[in-house]
Amino acid sequence: MAAPSWEDSVKSLKGVILDMCGVLYDAGEGGGTPIPGSVEAVKRLKASDLKLRFCTNETQATREKFVAKLQRMGFLISVPEVFSPSPAAVAILKERGLRPHLLVHDDVVPEFDSVEKTNPNCVVIGDAAEKFSYQNLNAAFRVLVGLEKPLLFSLGRGKYYREGDGLNLDVGVYMKALEYACDTEAEVVGKPAPTFFQKVLDDMGIPPHEALMIGDDLVNDVGGAQVCGMKGVQVRTGKYRPSDEKHPTVMADGYVNNLAEAVDTILKLRGQ
Amino acid sequence: MHRYFTYKGRLLGVMATRRALKAVLIDLSGTLHIEDTAVPGAQDALSRLRQSSVAVKFVTNTTKECKRNLLERLQSLNFDIKETEIFTSLTAARSLVEQRQLRPLLLVEDSALEDFSGMETSEPNAVVIGLAPDQFNYQTMNDAFRLLVEGAPLIAIHKARYYRRKDGLALGPGPFVAGLEYAADCHATVVGKPQGRFFLQALQDMDCAPEEALMIGDDARDDVEGAQNSGMLGILVRTGKYRVGDEGKINPPPYLTCDSFPEAVDHILLHLLHQT
Repeated sequence: MAAPSWEDSVKSLKGVILDMCGVLYDAGEGGGTPIPGSVEAVKRLKASDLKLRFCTNETQATREKFVAKLQRMGFLISVPEVFSPSPAAVAILKERGLRPHLLVHDDVVPEFDSVEKTNPNCVVIGDAAEKFSYQNLNAAFRVLVGLEKPLLFSLGRGKYYREGDGLNLDVGVYMKALEYACDTEAEVVGKPAPTFFQKVLDDMGIPPHEALMIGDDLVNDVGGAQVCGMKGVQVRTGKYRPSDEKHPTVMADGYVNNLAEAVDTILKLRGQ
Repeated sequence: MHRYFTYKGRLLGVMATRRALKAVLIDLSGTLHIEDTAVPGAQDALSRLRQSSVAVKFVTNTTKECKRNLLERLQSLNFDIKETEIFTSLTAARSLVEQRQLRPLLLVEDSALEDFSGMETSEPNAVVIGLAPDQFNYQTMNDAFRLLVEGAPLIAIHKARYYRRKDGLALGPGPFVAGLEYAADCHATVVGKPQGRFFLQALQDMDCAPEEALMIGDDARDDVEGAQNSGMLGILVRTGKYRVGDEGKINPPPYLTCDSFPEAVDHILLHLLHQT
């Protein structure tokens, strides 16, 4: 059997981008637990000649608190290496002079401290989890229908993620709800938006064909990276479901059981 | 032979040769009453219609009011209506669930639960969703999603985007249905107006073909277009949610557009009770 296509490109690889939740750790009580082998895998990548960045759609905590949580789990990781939607959204809001109504998790509100929020002229929606009540969604809806043209930013567009034993709805579901209510289309900030991936590539200073994305979300991690010209590999951890391997529109360049296996393969093929 | 109906020289509708009318379906809110006020002359008009040969049924897209509540409101406004004559989207949902022998997780308001009394709801294998603000919390939405992702069917009472409340616009069930459809990669079966199935179900016990029935309502899409697509005639009334120009938003246009329910009844009594 021929090697999966992504293995052919490993030798010319210059950088790796890792999704976080479902690749590094599993969400759950007390902040979650590392996926076996992932702490060591990150260490090995860091020690290699490959550039490494982390790219998450996590919007339940500020980037600082999120990184601190991963450091406590034992991961070798620092804030500047992590790309998340909230700082990207803040940059867009400032650039375009927009004042958001926020429907986001309480813990991520501080990311938006520097943004003017009175008399809102757009809505920013993130993974608000328990805050996704009818009342809160309705408040966001009323801001949108009160605008001449509804302007909705969504921090990612994921459908669900795994937390503990079950799957939980992600921000994309509520983005869809507001899109349907207002007959509009949201601007996605975060994965799978190409501008978001491009920022990570720019930071590494490499072209897309020299980068590999590893994630558990077939559509947003793998598909999003492929649209940008990167290779995308899916791990069979986190939100992975066997039906992903028969997806009608997105096909990963490869599947691995977990991050440890991916890093093993990469380093072996590169003779390290 | 065709009959042309005109008003001040404008063509209102064309009617092919057809059998005499047997049944009239009547929308409630916006057609017979607006909130707690009856449309002027509507009670009288209903009585006149009842004295003719046609059967009547009252059809409505409600997701939070059981039949008993609807009946009480109409009776307090002096309408002569019986509970068995009311057919709602909740009724339609129940009959679909029974037909498929499903055990539903009910995302409906407590006030609507009465219409599902006696149904088996333990170990649910289906999701029925109406307008249920109290149920649209994150935990219950997750419960619904987890059933859907395992293949449980999603049944939506209707998919309205929003509605007007005394304090302003408010989200309808549609956005939550659309969100769950996206999450679980599925399509909801919508049971309320304007689905053809809804109108046909309403006629089921009336011994009447769609071609022998007529629908009166204030919503061009949900009432008139839906009914006409299933073979009935549709009359649009300019009360309730009607906005100028609504009759032009559907194709084919309404069989007839008139100012209010009493005018619609006059037309029926004058023109539609005999074979043409």
